[in-house]
Amino acid sequence: MSVVRPRRTAAIAGAVAALAGALLLAGCVSSPGSTASTAAAAAGKPVSGGSLTYGVETEPATLNPQLNGQDKARVTLRNGYDNLFAVTDSGKVEAWLASGYTVAADEKTYTVTLRHGVTFWDGEAFNAAAVVKNIDEVLNPKYDAFGAAGPFSNVKSVTAAGDYTVVFTLKGVYSPFLITLANLPIISPNSYSKADVKAGGPDIAGTGPFILQSYTRGQDLVFVKNPKYNWAPATAQHTGPAYLDKVTVRFLPEASVRVGALQSGQVNVIEGVPGTSAALFKNNPGYRYISALNTGTPYSLYFNTKFGPSADIRVREAVRDAVDLNAIINSVYAGQRTRAWSAVSPEDPYFFDKAVVNTYGANPAAANKLLDAAGWTGPRENGYRTNSHGQVLKIVEYQDTNYVRDSRDVLLQAIQAQVKQTAGIDFDVQEVDDGTASTHLANGTYGTFDNSNTDPDGVDIAYHWLPAAAGGFINLAQASDPQLGKWIAAAQSTSDIAARAADYDALQQYVIDTKAYSLPLYEPADQIAAASDVHGLSFRTYFQIPESEYDVWIGK
Amino acid sequence: MSTVEAEGAAAAAAAPDEGRRRGRLAVAQAVARRLIGALLVLWAAATAAFLAVYAAPGNTAYILLGTSERSPQAVAAVTAQWHLDRPLVTQYVDYVTGLLHGNFGTSYALNAPVAQVIFSQLGPSLQLALAGAVVAVGLALLSSVATAGRPWPSKIANAVEVVLVSLPEFWVAILLLFGISFRLGWFPIAGAYGFPSLVLPALALGLGICGMLSQLLRNGIELSLEEPYSLTARARGVSDLSLRLRHSVRHAALPVIHLTGYIVGGLLGGVVIVEQVFSRPGIGQTTLNAVNSKDLPVVLGVALLGSFAYVVISTIVDILAFLIDPRLRFANRRL
Repeated sequence: MSVVRPRRTAAIAGAVAALAGALLLAGCVSSPGSTASTAAAAAGKPVSGGSLTYGVETEPATLNPQLNGQDKARVTLRNGYDNLFAVTDSGKVEAWLASGYTVAADEKTYTVTLRHGVTFWDGEAFNAAAVVKNIDEVLNPKYDAFGAAGPFSNVKSVTAAGDYTVVFTLKGVYSPFLITLANLPIISPNSYSKADVKAGGPDIAGTGPFILQSYTRGQDLVFVKNPKYNWAPATAQHTGPAYLDKVTVRFLPEASVRVGALQSGQVNVIEGVPGTSAALFKNNPGYRYISALNTGTPYSLYFNTKFGPSADIRVREAVRDAVDLNAIINSVYAGQRTRAWSAVSPEDPYFFDKAVVNTYGANPAAANKLLDAAGWTGPRENGYRTNSHGQVLKIVEYQDTNYVRDSRDVLLQAIQAQVKQTAGIDFDVQEVDDGTASTHLANGTYGTFDNSNTDPDGVDIAYHWLPAAAGGFINLAQASDPQLGKWIAAAQSTSDIAARAADYDALQQYVIDTKAYSLPLYEPADQIAAASDVHGLSFRTYFQIPESEYDVWIGK
Repeated sequence: MSTVEAEGAAAAAAAPDEGRRRGRLAVAQAVARRLIGALLVLWAAATAAFLAVYAAPGNTAYILLGTSERSPQAVAAVTAQWHLDRPLVTQYVDYVTGLLHGNFGTSYALNAPVAQVIFSQLGPSLQLALAGAVVAVGLALLSSVATAGRPWPSKIANAVEVVLVSLPEFWVAILLLFGISFRLGWFPIAGAYGFPSLVLPALALGLGICGMLSQLLRNGIELSLEEPYSLTARARGVSDLSLRLRHSVRHAALPVIHLTGYIVGGLLGGVVIVEQVFSRPGIGQTTLNAVNSKDLPVVLGVALLGSFAYVVISTIVDILAFLIDPRLRFANRRL
């Protein structure tokens, strides 16, 4: 259910970011809080009270947490809506709204017991009937067209076996089920009959540490403390109600505006700090700065293996060899981003395969040799290689303007320039509107397509490497090797972590080293910067996206 | 035209009542014609917007689903949910029928009625546009009255205005943000939290238009100051300031009234950019997001609202001009 969909407007945002970056670097901005005394203030004992203003990049498209697929909106909605389980960094599920679970020997039946005494903001009780209602609705295509077709489609039935016990029966063994269930926010059964159930809002009640009080579209969301909250997950740093009385989430889509808002003290915390601004907060005693790599799959270029020159493995390998990614990424992101090597995030505790690191790239001589062998030996046209039919070695990348963030346009342009210089490849990066990109995607008429996604626990691997008809919704390489499906099926049908890891390792070596289906670029990360008096900020364990403000308090 | 003018003048001179009656009739006819024209323009705008949006590339279902969830089942479900598979004509007829019933449809991306989405965003945008207009007109009056006919001040003001007209709004917005909000902290950085948060966006929006208006006004005032009636007024002992304010500005303002369409267009376009930079809620942000996510009902609603505003304002201006300036009634019956 994760779609990285930050809002932005290409031309304005790009120009704004560039100008802001220039002004920031020129030292036009002073940092009011950057004194040694503020930094020296010790964290001390958490204090209750106060209000916090959080500047976020993304305004949720819908405030209903079950229907919202934006990773970047989760930091906001997490304040109001709890899940059945929390997940530790090692991938273990811990009690939250659920008090425990058991799995039957056939691994198809999960019995989940629920915590007593939990209530939604609207006064409804949290119990087995509420959970069953939630799952039934998620599986109803009229309510949730995405969810009904996603990982929850593995659920055959869900029933209440008592007031506080729910039994899930799966269609087959599906090992990512617990993580999938843990990732589902729960809303009150009454919410489904509200007129604005799809748009979300204060009417859609959760059990979270904060109550959604008001929403001003395009401006802010206001959460107030839920005084009854007494069901924090084991992964939280305290129990009982939240420390803060009020959290105002302000939507500041422009990175330069977020940075300026924090520096001028108009907000306490921001997320999404551009690489060029990280230095303003890092090692600056007036601020805190933390960052974490995302889970799922890195930001990668997927070669179309069914269309154009990239159908030839020698061309795919040549593109990878023609580019020196370490140098480009360091230069574009001022050393603030982590280069990726594989089809799985290095953040994944089990499934990242280190064996593919340093196995390709930065070898122009090899790239040229491969292209010569592949027949791209005709006279150069404007510096680009041609073949015996006079065709230019052209690979078109359609970069969807809606998904461009974090200077990814600059990154691809740098690659474009380098592969022309080192190997005569015309890597044609075209930034296009959503409609044009989706049309090329649907028709398969692209050379490469870029993507990053965050679903953990191997769910993302299935999305990328199964055939489209079998659930490979983002199989951008159009890989159809039956072997890929076998590894994924084997990994999904066992709960033995070592066996699953072996399958996924084999898959990574195959798609990266054997077939060169993709060129992993860098691992997306989330960043949080805050004034030094804000304590308790963290990333959500395992999922590595900014955590709610439950543990946050304002001290000195 | 000269015949009509002569006729009108003769009739007015010969029979004042008959002249007034004919004048009123001309006004009524012109107003009726203008109103019918306005309705036709609205219909044409709605149709053009519909066709443009329909012709834009891409499958709406794919866009709504994003890249992750593009399974055949999900595509089928979304297509069915929003009736995306109906033929163009059916969609058009439904759309126009809906409009006649005051139903603008439901936003795909926000899952809320379009009328609700737009009207909830109208207030902040109107505030901003009005404040921008006040800045533009106020500063233009100040600058033109103070500098017209004075060689050095007028040269300096002229240079500043040329710069203001040439600068894009987002650049002005960023300079204001960095200079005044980030550095000096005088005004809030973003949002619509009362008057202080309106100041910088209104300046960013109004300064460019102000540059153009003050050049026009200054030119008019300078011409007026050279007229014999100005000399007469001075001879009567009217002070320079009073002469400028009471007489010259009036004359100079006439061409400005006819530029109202340009000003409104500038304000509507500018609002989109200024709202984005200042993270203000409003129609501009809503429109950009709707265009990016191919949220057709919202795009159509905004296009219709924009043409409605434009048509209403230009109709009012035309009618006002017709009422204010008697020459128009006789000189140009076909308004």
